[in-house]
This record gives sequence, structure tokens and C-alpha cells, in this order.
Amino acid sequence: MKKSIVIIGGHTKAMILAKSILKKGYNVIVINESYEDCISISEIPGISVVQGDGARPYVLADANIWDADMAIALTPNDEDNLMICQLCKHKFSISKTVAIVSDPKKVEFFYALGVDRAVCTISTVASIIEQQAFVTDITNIIPIGGGNIQILELRIDGYSPVIDKQLWEIELPTEAIVGCILRGDTALVPRGNSRITMGDTLVLIVGQQQEASAIKTLTGR
Amino acid sequence: MNITLKSYKKNAVQLTIIVGCGKLGAAIANQISETGGEVLILDKDKQSFRRLSPFFGGLSVIGDALDLDKLKEIQIQKATTLLIVTNDDNVNYMVAQLARNMFSIRHVIARVLDKDKESIFTSEGILTFCPVSLSQERIQQLLVMKVPASSEAGDVEYDGE
Repeated sequence: MKKSIVIIGGHTKAMILAKSILKKGYNVIVINESYEDCISISEIPGISVVQGDGARPYVLADANIWDADMAIALTPNDEDNLMICQLCKHKFSISKTVAIVSDPKKVEFFYALGVDRAVCTISTVASIIEQQAFVTDITNIIPIGGGNIQILELRIDGYSPVIDKQLWEIELPTEAIVGCILRGDTALVPRGNSRITMGDTLVLIVGQQQEASAIKTLTGR
Repeated sequence: MNITLKSYKKNAVQLTIIVGCGKLGAAIANQISETGGEVLILDKDKQSFRRLSPFFGGLSVIGDALDLDKLKEIQIQKATTLLIVTNDDNVNYMVAQLARNMFSIRHVIARVLDKDKESIFTSEGILTFCPVSLSQERIQQLLVMKVPASSEAGDVEYDGE
């Protein structure tokens, strides 16, 4: 049976997310308070749209979200997202809840209350600015574990000091590992003797403290 | 040898912190102050404190209860009782959980306007009251109340004003 994902709130984010989830083959239910947003989203074939406040149980019931596989709360208010996740989990038996959180100080709190995944957009942007990602080719910074561990994609360009080196030769900090090497269309599982070539994208898993040092070792910046 | 035993009695000063200075928040704050209790009331809107009695002897603080820095500033952990009465259930829930989770306050009371959300609060040990339910109970009592008979059918007596 097809898995169902419910998206609550979020304007443009909801539409983009809905389209991408639909492409992956899931059933998508969108709940949104704005009539205009609902009209735009309903133009995408295959998505059920319900207009209303997703933090009200009767609206969730109208949308028939029982036993959906995942609920994603995208409203701009942390308190609304929290209530939405709690309702979905405890009243509608949805096993996985995801919320965006604006206040980075509340991320751990969300996890403590049972929200499965709390994504703090501000933290991510702050990290990017800190790492000056617009100067180096760092894309897709994904914080996990409350931001203590990061997964980054690092592009190895002509200036990198590690080109043609084998992994075992590179002195990476203890808390950093190269999880994967993306070369062209292939994803390679790195071994000690894997040689880095120009144009590779390295998927780096690194602790927060060691990030800057690992990036410098691999890219020279 | 004289040994003096000191008993350290916990200095439990009863402090009630009220979040939300609407009609109800203000009324409770006034009541507590009047009976000599310690009370601190927090609201985002400065104008809301006009609802407080001119004899209000507690503290009124302007601030957002969802702002952790503000909660630390008012030393919310010192509250023996926390009463949360903003007009938004979701805010009430988040403040209640922040209080219990981050500041270890045990006696937390919250208003829940949407009865269907009440179980989310109570399952976590938050004490709740739901105005619609309470009104319902009262109306039930009034509906079955016997109205004193008047001298003639259709002749209704009005009291004073």
C-alpha cells in the first residue's frame, strides 16, 4: 500500500515539498489555512487538499489523516507546529512527525516532547554563513543530532590539496569521515586506498567542532 | 558540649505566575494580590495591564512567554504555580511544556479553548480548564432549575435594574 504523507501549513514550501514527495510515489495530503494557497496546490494532480487550520482536530479529521506515515508541520509559528505534531502523533496515530522550528533554542525541546525530527532553518542558514559557503563549494549542509553532527557535500575543485591523494594519506580530524565519494553518476563507498580526483564531491560526516578544520584539509580553504 | 541543630526549612514562598493579562488573567491576579499572595503577571501587550486593579500589589512584566530569555529574566523557575491564560491554545501548550520541561515547574494550569485539544495537555500532567465545558455544565444546572412561580402566568417580575 502506498505510503501517505501529510503536509500542514507552509505556502510555497508546502507546494514544493508536495510536488517532490509526489514524485517519489507517496500519497500526499495538504492542509492549509489560506484559500489561495489551497487553490494553487490543488492544481497539482494527485494531491488531496483540505483548507483549514491544521492545528484543529476537526480539520485533521476532515482530511482523513489517520494512520498516515508522516506529518510535516511547516507553519511559521513554532507553537502551532508543536501542537500539530502532537495531535498527529497522539490523536491520529501518525508514527513520524517533522516540524520546522524557528527558534534554535527550542530544537532539543521539540525532540524531548517526542517530535521525531525538528529542522531549524535559522541554524542551517547561520551555519552556512559561518562557514562562508558562498566562497567555497559546500552544498547541502544537513545538521543532524541537534546540530552536533553535520553532513556536508564538498566539491573537490582544481585548488584542492588532496587531489590524487588516497584517503589514508589525508590527515582528517578524528571526528570526520568521508562517507561517500560522488564521481559523475556513481556513488563510491570510500576505502583507505580510494584516490580523490578533481571533480569529485565528497560526502563528509563531521562533528561540529571539527568542521572548519576538515574543510580546510580537503579544500584548502 | 553544646550542639545546635539547625533545621533547614525550605523557604517555599508561594509565587503564582500568570501568563496572559486578559479578563481572566487580570481577575485572578487581582484576587491573589488582594488576599496577600505573591503574583507576577506577564503579557505581550502593555495596555492589558490596565485591567489590573489600582491596588494590585504584584509585578506586571511586558514580554513574550515564548521567549526563553524573557522567561529566564522573570525567573519563572521560582513559580510555585503557573497559570497560563493566553487566548491561543497552542501558545498555552508550548508555555506549559517549556515550564515543565525546561524549568521544572510542577503545578501548571492552562486554559484550553478547544476541547478536542485537552487530552494533549492532560496526558502530560498539565492541569486544564475548558471554558466551553464549564459553561456547559453551568447551563445544564440552569436548564433544570425551577423558576419561582409568579402570581399570574405571563406576569414576570424584574428585580431592581
